Amino acid sequence: MDMHSFINFFLLPGIVQGSIYALGAIGITLVFAIMRYGHFAHGDLATFGAFIALAFTTVLGLSPYAALPLAVLATGVFAVALDRLFYAHLRAMPKIITTIASFGVALMLRSFVQVVWGVNTTSYTRGITRPENWFGIRVKSHEIVTLLVAIALVVALHLFLTRNKWGKAMRAMSDNPELALFSGVDNGKVIALTWIIAGGLCAASGFFLGLNTELKSLMGWNILLPTFAAAILGGVGRIEGAIVGGLIVGIAEELSVLVIPGEYKVMSAFGILLLVLLFRPTGLFRGKVL
Amino acid sequence: MTALLTMKNLRGGYGDSDILFDLSIEVAKGEIVAIVGPNGAGKSTAMKSIFGLLDIRAGSIAIGETDITGWAPNRIVKAGICYVPQVKNIFSEMTVHENFEMGAFLRKGDYSAALDRVYNLFPDLRTKQKATAGRLSGGQRQMVAMGRALMLDPQVLLLDEPTAGLSPKYMEQIFQISRDVRDSGVAILLVEQHAKQALAFADRGYVLAAGRNRHEGPASELLADRHIAEMFLGG
Repeated sequence: MDMHSFINFFLLPGIVQGSIYALGAIGITLVFAIMRYGHFAHGDLATFGAFIALAFTTVLGLSPYAALPLAVLATGVFAVALDRLFYAHLRAMPKIITTIASFGVALMLRSFVQVVWGVNTTSYTRGITRPENWFGIRVKSHEIVTLLVAIALVVALHLFLTRNKWGKAMRAMSDNPELALFSGVDNGKVIALTWIIAGGLCAASGFFLGLNTELKSLMGWNILLPTFAAAILGGVGRIEGAIVGGLIVGIAEELSVLVIPGEYKVMSAFGILLLVLLFRPTGLFRGKVL
Repeated sequence: MTALLTMKNLRGGYGDSDILFDLSIEVAKGEIVAIVGPNGAGKSTAMKSIFGLLDIRAGSIAIGETDITGWAPNRIVKAGICYVPQVKNIFSEMTVHENFEMGAFLRKGDYSAALDRVYNLFPDLRTKQKATAGRLSGGQRQMVAMGRALMLDPQVLLLDEPTAGLSPKYMEQIFQISRDVRDSGVAILLVEQHAKQALAFADRGYVLAAGRNRHEGPASELLADRHIAEMFLGG
């Protein structure tokens, strides 16, 4: 295989898919860092975000790219509401209860999407996008946008967490929740902030998944396993880990078709998850132990 | 001397079991008060009760004239009480500087004066501002922990076993810094396992046993009392 086909057929699609996983995995890792449970409704929340963006394009007649920021914001606020409704009153109980509750929320979200938008496949734009050709490297415009927006979101999050007072409070809460309370941090506000960020990034991941493939009610559920694999591979609670983990899982999935049939792609995420849990449960960046 | 922090006839514990039965402690502005006593006497629990971390069933806690019994931790911090737990007392993945910034979380506006004062108290840390707090030595971590608590200019500083596991050199340093903090007008209440050292350095002391006051008085008198020494201070 020559260099160009490796880049065009494996590396680039892997990086694009990996960025989508990374956006979801950052949310999973943040929720775990602050609230200490695995959020299994994250995939279906991504579906919800993707369809909210679709609603903005059909109802308001916006272009998909104009609908994205609105969907990110709406899903962030929606995630705060989900937390208040379904998770807040479970806070003092064993975390496994909230984890199971999040499965229930996943089913509700999926049914909601199916009732409102149906079960058929749809898309943001009709027709086929022709790839640009740069020195033999073929890349579609929406792939470039996916990468640029993912990078911009990650940089913005990094700046927020390292420069902003409330961003630092989030890190403090993740690091040592009791001491954060003793320093006067209001944990209710930190939790709401976490959901806005995790929900917003989740909507972005769903949107880009829909943009690069298609929209369907099971789209988010289908990426839940690779997204969790990405978060765990990077080290739960580690944002840089979620990004690296997402890219590795995305690229590994694309490369796996060299050895296994394409319809079993998702097995590579499962394989990575298995290996990490067996040999390095804290992940590449030494995250919190599950 | 009027008391700044007053714990009066406290009874409380966790869940259904009581640990404190009848505990009364007072700390005035500008004094260091040590709580000593055998293991399981309720020393650390006494301190945690101030911070609303256990169920208080009887008695009261006040700062000045304000009753703070049962308040949430972030309200108690605002009332001017800062607490340095014995373990997990720093943000270990954050830098020294960020630890101090978190200490100043409730402050509005510029806090560079407080920051400067903390670095003057702990000059060793001035060159380590960007270091990850969890990677420092035990003594330096304890300094970060105290520095974080001092960023709010508390009226009362609670120290839970501040010298546990430290070398004699650091122990002496922590004691000296505590005296400096006291002399700036802060009331310090500390719990110590090393009873003799603690009483040698404190102004007053309380000897606790089984969740009750057993003896109290000027630290030097407690130290000199042969009966107390035999019973509680390890001979």
